[in-house]
Amino acid sequence: MTEGTTNPEANRPTNRLSYLRVFATFARNSLVRDMMFRANFVIEAVSSIAWSIMNVGFYWIIFEHTNSIGAQTGWGRSEFFIFMGTTWIINSLVQAFFMPNSEEFSELIRTGGLDFALLKPIDTQFLISLRKVNWSSLINLVVGAVLIGLSIYDLSHRAESPWRFEPFILILYPFYICCGVAVLYSLMICLAATSVWLGRNQTLYDFWFYITNFSRYPMEIYSRGWGLPLYFIFTFVIPVLVVVNVPARLLAQPLTPRADWEWPLAGFTIVATIASLLFSRWVFNRSLLAYRSASS
Amino acid sequence: MSDVAAYEPPPSKPLGLGARLHCWWTIFRIALEERLAYRGDFALGTLMRFLPVITQIFLWWAIFESVSGGSDSGRMVGYSFHDMIAYYLLSMLGRAFSSMPGLASNVSKQIRDGEIKKYLIQPIDMIGFLWLARAAHKVAYYTVSTLPFALLFFLCRGYFTQGWPDPSVLLAFVISLLLAFALGFLMDLCIGLIGFWFLEVSSLLFVYMLLNFFLSGHMFPLDLLPSPWNEIVQFLPFKYLAYFPAAVFLGKVPADQLWFEIGLEFAWLIVLIVAARVLYARGLRRYSGYGG
Amino acid sequence: MAIIEIENLSKSYRVYQKREGLMAAIRGLVHREYRQVDAVRGIDLKVEQGEFVAFLGPNGAGKTTTLKLLSGVIYPSGGSCKVMGFVPWERSNEYRSRFALVMGQKNQLWWDLPSQESFRLHQQIYRIDASQFQKTLDELTELLGVRKLLGRPVRELSLGERMKMELIAALLHSPEILFLDEPTIGLDVVAQHNIQQFLRFYQEQRKITILLTSHYMKDIAALCRRVVVINDGAIKFDGSLSEVVDNFSSTRLVRLRLADGELATGIESIAEVESIELPKVTLRCQRLQVARVLTEALNRFQIEDVAVEDPPLEEVISKLFHDTRGPEQSSETAKAEVQS
Repeated sequence: MTEGTTNPEANRPTNRLSYLRVFATFARNSLVRDMMFRANFVIEAVSSIAWSIMNVGFYWIIFEHTNSIGAQTGWGRSEFFIFMGTTWIINSLVQAFFMPNSEEFSELIRTGGLDFALLKPIDTQFLISLRKVNWSSLINLVVGAVLIGLSIYDLSHRAESPWRFEPFILILYPFYICCGVAVLYSLMICLAATSVWLGRNQTLYDFWFYITNFSRYPMEIYSRGWGLPLYFIFTFVIPVLVVVNVPARLLAQPLTPRADWEWPLAGFTIVATIASLLFSRWVFNRSLLAYRSASS
Repeated sequence: MSDVAAYEPPPSKPLGLGARLHCWWTIFRIALEERLAYRGDFALGTLMRFLPVITQIFLWWAIFESVSGGSDSGRMVGYSFHDMIAYYLLSMLGRAFSSMPGLASNVSKQIRDGEIKKYLIQPIDMIGFLWLARAAHKVAYYTVSTLPFALLFFLCRGYFTQGWPDPSVLLAFVISLLLAFALGFLMDLCIGLIGFWFLEVSSLLFVYMLLNFFLSGHMFPLDLLPSPWNEIVQFLPFKYLAYFPAAVFLGKVPADQLWFEIGLEFAWLIVLIVAARVLYARGLRRYSGYGG
Repeated sequence: MAIIEIENLSKSYRVYQKREGLMAAIRGLVHREYRQVDAVRGIDLKVEQGEFVAFLGPNGAGKTTTLKLLSGVIYPSGGSCKVMGFVPWERSNEYRSRFALVMGQKNQLWWDLPSQESFRLHQQIYRIDASQFQKTLDELTELLGVRKLLGRPVRELSLGERMKMELIAALLHSPEILFLDEPTIGLDVVAQHNIQQFLRFYQEQRKITILLTSHYMKDIAALCRRVVVINDGAIKFDGSLSEVVDNFSSTRLVRLRLADGELATGIESIAEVESIELPKVTLRCQRLQVARVLTEALNRFQIEDVAVEDPPLEEVISKLFHDTRGPEQSSETAKAEVQS
């Protein structure tokens, strides 16, 4: 006890490594916690699989009555299932890493619990965004991957213009998945931050669901009539349309040869991702400024 | 000795109708105030609720483009593109009446945490109380969302190609909406009351939600289901939560069967009321048997 | 240079004024009325390194707000403040790794996990060297006697045990300044005593600076030599505990034990009677009157024992709060702060 205070700057590991280590501890603690409630974990896994199967069933019925979503768009059953699988993968990543934390962020603002996060000598947005990992949500990632696998198998065995493997997809697909997750995360943290101003934000999940609802279908469906303004708003202002569309298109190849706007859109997605992240950072900092901490 | 009268217990006759109505009104009012306290959240929530409509319109539009005949004259089991959107809007209205977010989980939570004791101690009936609170929440919701709903239906009036239905059909439609509220409430309540037997009802709740979501016709008209699923679903009560009101309005229920179907719905109502009462009484007995 | 320097610090915020009734709730959808609450109004304070200072004041006086300002959790509306040379609300990582805040009513440990998992997380966040971490943890668990509880989920701990864990979490990184907000709230006497003992020992050993708010006079009497009385958002008194009593209590209690069979008739003519439970009588008088009262009592009654005491601390403090209340409706301010 006599050593007193050591210089906190001494012996510090490099910054990035330390953040990684904190995240690893978060992930580990969450897993320990999830394993304490194993029954819950299993229930969540089973129910999300059930949900996915129901969804596949629904579109199976739709495709019994039609052969593609939109004329000449190329989104037939298997292509659309690749699209859906991509949606699930992205959503499950967001739900596993960011959803519980964003929900808790609004709760922390409401109850004044944010105080503790502000006290820690670590970036507050990092701490808030990754505090918990909801491991059971990753089940959907597996389900999505299986669906994509089956669909690709189906597509590459059809007689007419079969699916062909392009090596770059191994890098680009994961990369654009990450971009999509980043865009959705930015949106989510912005929504959560609004609870500083709105007082309560328990319907955060609803908001998020409703806005991301736009991203769940091929963007071509909006490119007509009065859908065009939406098409542009949700591509260039709140870029939720590129989230699933870009990686899903790259993988599913609905049109052969690729449409001439596909690569520019992919380029734009990178810009949109960076802009979203910066914007969410700005909103987050503004919300901290406004947070006045529920006192007593 | 003139004080003797004061020692007599107060007359134990049931509350007068006036007092009872007043009590109900108070419960109703408090629940309504609670809803309106967070205006920002509430207004935004109501507005956002209409966003999926846009997606649905475009999705069905795109789907019908590849149906033979295109989006103008193409048909899917008797539904044109316009019918499909009209159906979707009407089923949404049905859901606005029948969906009971958080009811079942709240009831089971109250059972688990012992909060249910307050209904045993206070002179109120739990089912009646919950019913009033829900009705108030719904009224608050309709108060705020009538305007957006009206606007939405006005903007989408083009999809209702057949115009207004007959007065009798309209009456049946209104009745089916009110019954949708009652059935939705009772079904959720029953699931919640099962919490008396199983402490954790969340998995059960999820199964119920899934069935509810797919079998109520919220996602698509039940007629789209292939045989024999279509026939099976027609025998289940879920269809009254969304499909049935919409089908009535769109004239998909033949006129000669209309009132028979409404009667059937009433039968379900009675079955569910009895089920809820039995579950509640049995559950309470079991609960107090354990000594709370 | 003082470790904490506060100059003219103030904090006010708007609160939504909720009205009662249904119509008001509906009106509230469209139009809201706000009211300004001044939680802290221009505080000046200097604290030296190694001091153990108590903030005293009724609910909503601004104690917690001041602590939150000092720890950088909220931004002030005016004034300046330096802690160890840092401006708290800039929240530099270096500043944040050199102090800690413990709040008795809030809990920062993971609820479902054993406390040691939360501690390990703190190790990562504060980047504490592994051997240093183990050493500190051993010392603290030893001192607080909670070694065996480390592996138990926090939700299964008693309130007192949880508070001890919170303290450990706060001290793992060896902070130089510790802010304690009601650390013993809701604890039983034994647990309160344990925590007091620990705090005193730790502070004496480490010579760290501690600011504490508490409702329990016992905490303050046991721990703090310096007392800062805050009421109505401003400092009303700053000095030692005995000075508080001297300044704010002009009366003394004279406790008499009468001889057996002696009746206390007419004793009220000597001084104000506080209580009579024969054979014990307690009188209250001005400090300068003590000699006169004693002489008169000894002359007129048969007395076996005499004691002269200060009034109980609680009484002094509640008088202090009452006297220092500003001319404005401070009770309203207090209420508003609690609600927000």
